[in-house]
Amino acid sequence: MQARPAPDRRLADDGTELSREQIRAVFQAYQDAPNEEERADHRKTLVSQYLGLVEFLARRFRNRGEPTEDLVQVGSIGLLKAIDRFDLEREVEFSTYATPTVVGELKRHFRDKGWAVRVPRRLQELHLELSKTVSELSQELGRSPTVPELAEHTRHSEENVLEGLEIAQAYNFTSLDVPVDQDDAGSVSFADQFGAEDDQLRVLEYRTALAPEMAKLPHRERTILYLRFFRGLTQSEIAQHLGISQMHVSRLLNRTLGQLREALEE
Amino acid sequence: MDAVSITIPASPQYVGVIRLVAAGLAARQGFSLDDIEDLKIAVDELAAYVTGSQGRLGFLEVVFSLDAECISFKGYGRLEEPEEVRTSLTELSRMILETVTESASLERVGATPTFHASKTRA
Repeated sequence: MQARPAPDRRLADDGTELSREQIRAVFQAYQDAPNEEERADHRKTLVSQYLGLVEFLARRFRNRGEPTEDLVQVGSIGLLKAIDRFDLEREVEFSTYATPTVVGELKRHFRDKGWAVRVPRRLQELHLELSKTVSELSQELGRSPTVPELAEHTRHSEENVLEGLEIAQAYNFTSLDVPVDQDDAGSVSFADQFGAEDDQLRVLEYRTALAPEMAKLPHRERTILYLRFFRGLTQSEIAQHLGISQMHVSRLLNRTLGQLREALEE
Repeated sequence: MDAVSITIPASPQYVGVIRLVAAGLAARQGFSLDDIEDLKIAVDELAAYVTGSQGRLGFLEVVFSLDAECISFKGYGRLEEPEEVRTSLTELSRMILETVTESASLERVGATPTFHASKTRA
């Protein structure tokens, strides 16, 4: 058997970047390790080498309401999976191979954690499908669609559509700084869109005795209240105005009204 | 005119069931999604007076009446301590209900907190 160069563990423990050859040697040693203890040792070396990659990828998701350190933890799970599955025979850099796995883990985290209560996958998917269909049909028809129209387009029963619409209320709310187009980290955020409404929002506060409670609301929620109850825009029109889905407007409105009700009751 | 009634424990966790009934009835009447959302907001707003944020001992009965263009509903707080319920709308509620319904009211009939609202198809 051909001798393989021993990986320089000291360099790795010092946080020094290993060369490509050294990395390959550690991978080989990891895969050939005779026991779990040695395997764990080599794995630790590999993790320390690619933690920077995980941190970099986690930072791409940092404005979605989760602490970056939590995201690094989640991304690290993806890194471990990638280390386990990496095939040295492949002519690709490990970082190239690992990136989709780490990003996949982060996306799955947001998909699963995005729901405030446990919602079956079937309903999560129905919710996403409906959200898209409502936007498309509203554009196509020039008005808010009916439930039978939604049922026809999605090929679900009307009862399923109603269930899907109602379950949307269980969804968590994204950060104010989440880009409107979540696939484009450089796109405009909700907060960016609200400057023009500022003066009108002040009117809203003055016109009600709710000023203290209104003032506590995030800017976006105040804007939605103002547009719905003072300017009389429908939820579909507000959605178009703010560049978000009608179902998202519905969720935000319901949550905000609930908060105000509770505050007034106290 | 058809009527559908539903009775739930007077607790906020069951109000979603009334919302679903309201949405189901409005869907059958051909209401748009925007109108259905309005109807659900009205249900939430008025039911909250009977249930409070923590729930109360007793039941909330809601009766929906349907005709071709309009859905109206009446709610009755069948509570052990009905006097706990506030029966005048707050400024916020008035503002909301004026926007999402054609008419709405909250009053005490005898000891029973009672509400009403109606929504016409756009």
